[in-house]
Amino acid sequence: MAVIDDVRQVASGWRWTRRPLAPHSAEPDPAPYDEPEFNTDWARTPAARATREALLTAVFRPLVWNQTTVRVEGLDRLDEIAAPVVFVANHSSHVDTPILLCSLPKRWRERTAVGAAADYFFDIWWRAATTALAFNTFPIERTGGARATGTARRLLADGWNLVVFPEGTRSKDGWLGPWRHGVARLCCELNVPAVPVAIRGSFVAMPRGRSWPKPGRPPVSIRYGPPLRPGPGEDYHDFSVRVRSAVVRLADEDATTWYASLRREAAGETPSLHGPAAPTWRRVWEATRSPVRRGGSRVWRRRSRTGAPSKDR
Amino acid sequence: MTRPGLVLEVDERTPPLIVHQGEGFRLQRFPLGSRVIYPPDPLPGIRDVTEAIRDALLHPLGSEPLPELLRPGMRLTIAFDDISLPLPPMRAPDVRGRVIEQVLEMAARRGVDDVELVVANSLHRRMTPKEIEHAVGERVFRSFWPRALSNHDAEDPERLTHLGVTDQGEDVEINRRAAESDLLVYVNINLVAMDGGHKSVPVGLGSYRSLRHHHNVRTMLESRSYMDPHRSALHSSTTRMGRLLAEHLRTFTIETTLNGTSFPDAFGFLNKREWEWSLADQARFMAAKQANERAPARMRREVWQRVRAPYRVTGVTAGQTEAVHQVTLANVHRQQVTQIDGQADVMVIGLPYICPYNVNSIMNPILVQCLGLGYFFNMYLGKPVVRQGGAMILFHPVPWEFHQVHHPSYVDFFDEVLSETTDPGQIEAKFEQQYAQDEWYRHLYRTSYAYHGVHPFYMWYWGAHAMDWLGDVIVVGGDRGAVARLGFRSASSFADALEMAGETVGSSPRITYLHAPPLTLAEVR
Repeated sequence: MAVIDDVRQVASGWRWTRRPLAPHSAEPDPAPYDEPEFNTDWARTPAARATREALLTAVFRPLVWNQTTVRVEGLDRLDEIAAPVVFVANHSSHVDTPILLCSLPKRWRERTAVGAAADYFFDIWWRAATTALAFNTFPIERTGGARATGTARRLLADGWNLVVFPEGTRSKDGWLGPWRHGVARLCCELNVPAVPVAIRGSFVAMPRGRSWPKPGRPPVSIRYGPPLRPGPGEDYHDFSVRVRSAVVRLADEDATTWYASLRREAAGETPSLHGPAAPTWRRVWEATRSPVRRGGSRVWRRRSRTGAPSKDR
Repeated sequence: MTRPGLVLEVDERTPPLIVHQGEGFRLQRFPLGSRVIYPPDPLPGIRDVTEAIRDALLHPLGSEPLPELLRPGMRLTIAFDDISLPLPPMRAPDVRGRVIEQVLEMAARRGVDDVELVVANSLHRRMTPKEIEHAVGERVFRSFWPRALSNHDAEDPERLTHLGVTDQGEDVEINRRAAESDLLVYVNINLVAMDGGHKSVPVGLGSYRSLRHHHNVRTMLESRSYMDPHRSALHSSTTRMGRLLAEHLRTFTIETTLNGTSFPDAFGFLNKREWEWSLADQARFMAAKQANERAPARMRREVWQRVRAPYRVTGVTAGQTEAVHQVTLANVHRQQVTQIDGQADVMVIGLPYICPYNVNSIMNPILVQCLGLGYFFNMYLGKPVVRQGGAMILFHPVPWEFHQVHHPSYVDFFDEVLSETTDPGQIEAKFEQQYAQDEWYRHLYRTSYAYHGVHPFYMWYWGAHAMDWLGDVIVVGGDRGAVARLGFRSASSFADALEMAGETVGSSPRITYLHAPPLTLAEVR
């Protein structure tokens, strides 16, 4: 058999350009993960950083800001702290990462790496390489264990900020999923502040299964909260709960006002991000209510009673 | 935690599967719904093998510790498995050598001077000095070769002793030195469930006079299968012989088991399930396949025969033969058994380049038959993988080629016997004695490196159960003349073979592929 025939056979059999899939009957019996971790150190070299900055500012930001209506709030919170920090956000769409990175000031962005599922983003070489270059991703084992946080620890020790989605995966119905405590443990052990981030609207804009935002420039808001530091001797479970509560409150702040959210928090009335206890379709129905569109220009300006065009808010 | 065996059901996600084909391999797509039997993942090896051996010798099962059995002035004989185990041969140091070294160290400390080592090669060819050195290690070899380290000679009346007859009338005749020793230490490698136990001494150190009682067509037909010693007439016979031997001879048995890492890193993809191949595995597969196909035949064989498996030792057990073998069998099953529900209409097997009788040699057509219908067909517990009257599809080139030194009687068997009949019963009745007592074959067995004259008969009997059971045997890619001489049919492709098998099993058969090596023992429920 000619070389080219062998290559064709292997390329089609092992789905070179697509995600490798185990046969259905073998899925419950996955191989113990003994492959060496995909090395992403090259993605943090000066050349890669320059390439990424160009990609994010010249490609991703114009593209995402053009296809969705992005509103960024709370960046002033970052003035209070110095790197490294861990940005902890809820996660419901592939658009979350570019929005988060592009919304950060350059000095933060260029020193920020993103934790990505090893079994999803690092399962095939070209996906691993492209995401590492574009978003400075590094692999996180979702199954836990020592390897789950090894690279993250090293990066924090080197002064890199991290973006971590503690849910570990995109939400299936738009609501907050089970919250993992690994990131809080990391913050407690290394005494690194966590910056809560709430992202609203991305599930509506580009839910699971879509590879491009829905038409109509759906609104997406991203709101940064005040950094949280682990208290002396604070248990990482407690800290994790504190960070999650901060994310939930930020979402409430985005839906209402800062002060109203504080009042509701004090009264223990912050709306849950876990959604209603209802069948999936109702949860999705509720989750797909877009955040109220604020700002943005009207196509037809409302005329004042005097006939002069009024100013947009 | 090692993953257990797997029965894969081929679906649209399943990549083409590796199929051995003699000194080569191919990727083969299987029809949707076919089942594929994979062995458990290789077990982790014992971390400190030296300590494990020492522990086994000092804390044996059903016996005093080995040092207590050793005393000055005694006659000590150490026998060990020959070149037929393991497959592929083990990367140095061979575990037999490691065990023998510790036995000898204890013997030296206890002041034992009269020590001899014997290769338990039965009617197999003698091992060359180089092969023996690989098995026992340089220190042992240099200390004992050739004065007190030799191959067993099953045709030397001076070196055989008849110890009696079992209650079933079976002669027990073994190596005289072993029989007249104060202690016989037997060191084995239990690669498959057929090996070891009472099969080691009565067969490995036996003579034709003794072997003919169980190496015959009737015994093979009554062994369902001989990989399941509890349901094997072969093992019942050797057990009777072994128990008779125990009345005359003190035997200290040391059995070892290996894990399923049959191939070195360069062929590491052969140890893995295909959908778990990394990019490097895929690249290695393509490189190895292209290099293999382009290499001259002689070089190809040389490369394959140089493969040394990086096996890890999974068990060392010593003591009384039957007690030891229980533990050993459990270890073998732990590594090889995969459970499967129901039998198939068609069983598919890719035959590799090696079987127990062609190490550093050529796999001739008779050995192809033995490996396929003898060994792989019998890799079952309970009932055969394929139903009675079903079909078997083998992948092998079946070259019409013989090793003139190792297999002289095979050449004549193929030309003279198989051209007349392929029926094992007729062959046994009409030809066996003639070959077994042929002076020229006897001479070659004793002085050259030839298998005994009767050995090709045994190879043929080994497949008797399968021949009796199966409705059709089809060989994909085999030499048409050689395949026809074996009494099988040949097909140029797997699709053709399935089409041909349809004549026997219908148009939509249940297909099961026994994915081996690494070896898999199917427990069919």
